Amino acid sequence: MNGTETILRAGARNLGAALFLLGSGAAGAAEYRLSVDPVTIDTGEFVRSGIGYNGASPGPVLKFREGEDVTIVVTNNLTESTSIHWHGLILPFQQDGVPGISYDGIGPGETFTYRFPIVQAGTYWFHSHTGFQEPDGAYGAIVIEPKNREPFRFKRDYVVQLTDAHPHSGDRIMRNLKMSADYYNRKQRTVFDFFSDVSKKGLGATVDDRMAWGDMRMMSTDIEDLQGFTPLINGKSAQQNWTGLFTPGERVRLRFINSSAMAYYDIRIPGLQMTVVQADGNNVQPVKVDELRIAVAETYDVLVQPKEDRAYTIFAESMGRTAYARGTLAPREGMSAPVPELREDPRLTMADMGMSHGGHGGMDHSKMGQGSSGAMTHKMADGSTMEGMDHSTMGHGSSGAMTHKMADGTTMQGMDHSTMGHGSSGAMTHEMADGSTMQGMDHGGHGAMAMKGADPFYAPGSGLTPVAAEGGKFLSYADLKAQKPLYEHRAPTREIELQLTGNMERYIWSINGVKFEDAEPIRLTYGERVRFKFVNTTMMTHPMHLHGMWSILDVGAGKWNPVKHVVSVAPGTTVYMETEVDALGQWAFHCHLSYHAGSGMFRKVVVEEGPEHSKALSGAKVRG
Amino acid sequence: MLFRNLRSLSLLLFVTTVTVSTAHAGEGHGKGSKADIGQPGDPAKASRTVEVQMFDNYYEPESLSIKEGETVRFVIRNKGALVHEFNIATAEMHVAHQPEMMMMVQHGVLKGDRIDLEAAKAMQTSMGHGMHKESNSVLLEPGKSGEIVWTFPEHTDLQFACNVPGHYDAGMQGDIKLTH
Repeated sequence: MNGTETILRAGARNLGAALFLLGSGAAGAAEYRLSVDPVTIDTGEFVRSGIGYNGASPGPVLKFREGEDVTIVVTNNLTESTSIHWHGLILPFQQDGVPGISYDGIGPGETFTYRFPIVQAGTYWFHSHTGFQEPDGAYGAIVIEPKNREPFRFKRDYVVQLTDAHPHSGDRIMRNLKMSADYYNRKQRTVFDFFSDVSKKGLGATVDDRMAWGDMRMMSTDIEDLQGFTPLINGKSAQQNWTGLFTPGERVRLRFINSSAMAYYDIRIPGLQMTVVQADGNNVQPVKVDELRIAVAETYDVLVQPKEDRAYTIFAESMGRTAYARGTLAPREGMSAPVPELREDPRLTMADMGMSHGGHGGMDHSKMGQGSSGAMTHKMADGSTMEGMDHSTMGHGSSGAMTHKMADGTTMQGMDHSTMGHGSSGAMTHEMADGSTMQGMDHGGHGAMAMKGADPFYAPGSGLTPVAAEGGKFLSYADLKAQKPLYEHRAPTREIELQLTGNMERYIWSINGVKFEDAEPIRLTYGERVRFKFVNTTMMTHPMHLHGMWSILDVGAGKWNPVKHVVSVAPGTTVYMETEVDALGQWAFHCHLSYHAGSGMFRKVVVEEGPEHSKALSGAKVRG
Repeated sequence: MLFRNLRSLSLLLFVTTVTVSTAHAGEGHGKGSKADIGQPGDPAKASRTVEVQMFDNYYEPESLSIKEGETVRFVIRNKGALVHEFNIATAEMHVAHQPEMMMMVQHGVLKGDRIDLEAAKAMQTSMGHGMHKESNSVLLEPGKSGEIVWTFPEHTDLQFACNVPGHYDAGMQGDIKLTH
């Protein structure tokens, strides 16, 4: 079966001798050895000391097989304590690798042996969960081969692991950010920008604008609070040009992993469309895109089919457009294709401040009852009216924020239809501005709302809303639908609101205004299904990561909602995810931006036994 | 059950594709394509029956070998959990057909695991797009079966493929090798 033929090249790294030893072919058990070592990182732009695995950063690609039991013997050759967290893997909490929560960590010179069953397949990664060792280079990839054949076909298979290597050590960066939150922001607005704004907008508007930003203690350029990094693909900078080979016509699987400390990337391959087949290790119904944004700690697997006998550039711009990673797909070594220019950097807008309350901004329909309420009239900002929307049949489901883009370009903003039904086809009538009517649309799957574009996972008018560089389709969370639902779909048993908060001036990041050291753990009960409501009150985008249990991202698709391990929450938005609480123990739950997690945007989650323990054990999980 | 409207097979076959322009029976669809893809065959003249199983998102078998001019009866079974298509055409025709299938998704006609006939009617009414039965394809809900009898041409590069958005590019396509 050529569809599952796997050729892992994962860069021209020395994998070290001791990697895939023992147990090869033997069903059921495999043993791996990893050493945690001081290494030298040479990006071509700077050389620094860092931390790696088996003598290199990034570490090796660990290849597991679904259904086997793995033993991983980790030896710490550093002079300080370390840890390894298996990002996205479902395992007993004592094996999760978070010091202070799962275990005590691994002291200098010590060896720790991890043992756990592999109960899933797909693309994941591993990294240190100690201090800022991960930004210092302590990360690697995990590829798990599925028990059954994949629901797609490919001939080549490459890990494309991104990071944002910085010349400063993580500890130094944290100190500098604490001293001055804009220490690494090279895109500050200047007095010249001020006069330029005055001449464009007038003095009053400019001053108001500035005062608003000042109140937030933020700037419109605060998209990347850590700049000056060198993006790497599989350890190679743009000039070092990581290259993956193909024969024209072959379908190539690229496993994108964003192992950055802080940087989101917008990824495209000029000349090729990408078919997204997996998100965070879980298969999704394939969706063809021209570009995608990968949040910190996410993974996306895509298929591409280069047909021409030429090179193609993998181009990954940081979201703040301060730097790019670049690699190449080519029929032969040594080839390259043109490298695009960085696009102009985006500016945050008032919408990203959560201030776009003009017109429809911020309408929260989340309390719309089941079966209640008849026709609603939506008055548009321009005075036109959208009438006759009947939400009465929308039932008891769930869905994320939704934007109705009208034909004339006006937008119905920030509508939160969080109780709109799942699959029940509430017949909505959308009276379009041009008088035409669209009928019988089923909003059970809100991905379809990408009729006219605007991504519902960004605040309407947000400066961060992604647009494909060369036109075409930009992946939205709303496009992600599980290929095969992992759990039975059911109503959540309760909701927990988590406000993502921060004080930019002091560089303190927190949840519900409380930083980790001062916070009580979040207590969950085994067997419940918790709906988490993330309300981002900050102007930064936060990739929230719950350990040990899946994050079912609410995209409004009911049972097809995708199952993830990182949920990115853009400024000024509210995003929901649900978790089947099916793993006892204590777990970490945090923003995956290293310096946000390190300064307080972090919680411990404790899962306690409950009355439904035995019932839940017998299993809501439906996927084999 | 999965679908409320349990209709007859023939009605399911009715909702196979959306064609924007008029389609002529027997020529399949794919605007502007002049390739000879063959035509519907006489079941009595079928030399054999080929079973094709559709899974999420692939076929078994993955490719077909057929004699030039041969008339074949295909029995197609959807053994997956998603809606799938079996469509005989050239690669270019498949690609041209895909935006139409996308439109069906956007109008709620084509759901992940079912075909919404009410939405199909509404789409027809509001958009004025016709729903035509195409004899070179079947679109099947999970658990359903369909049949095509097809007489193959002589020198055409044909593929069988599923044009449900994303499926073709994920690899749900197979070559039809025409032999002497």
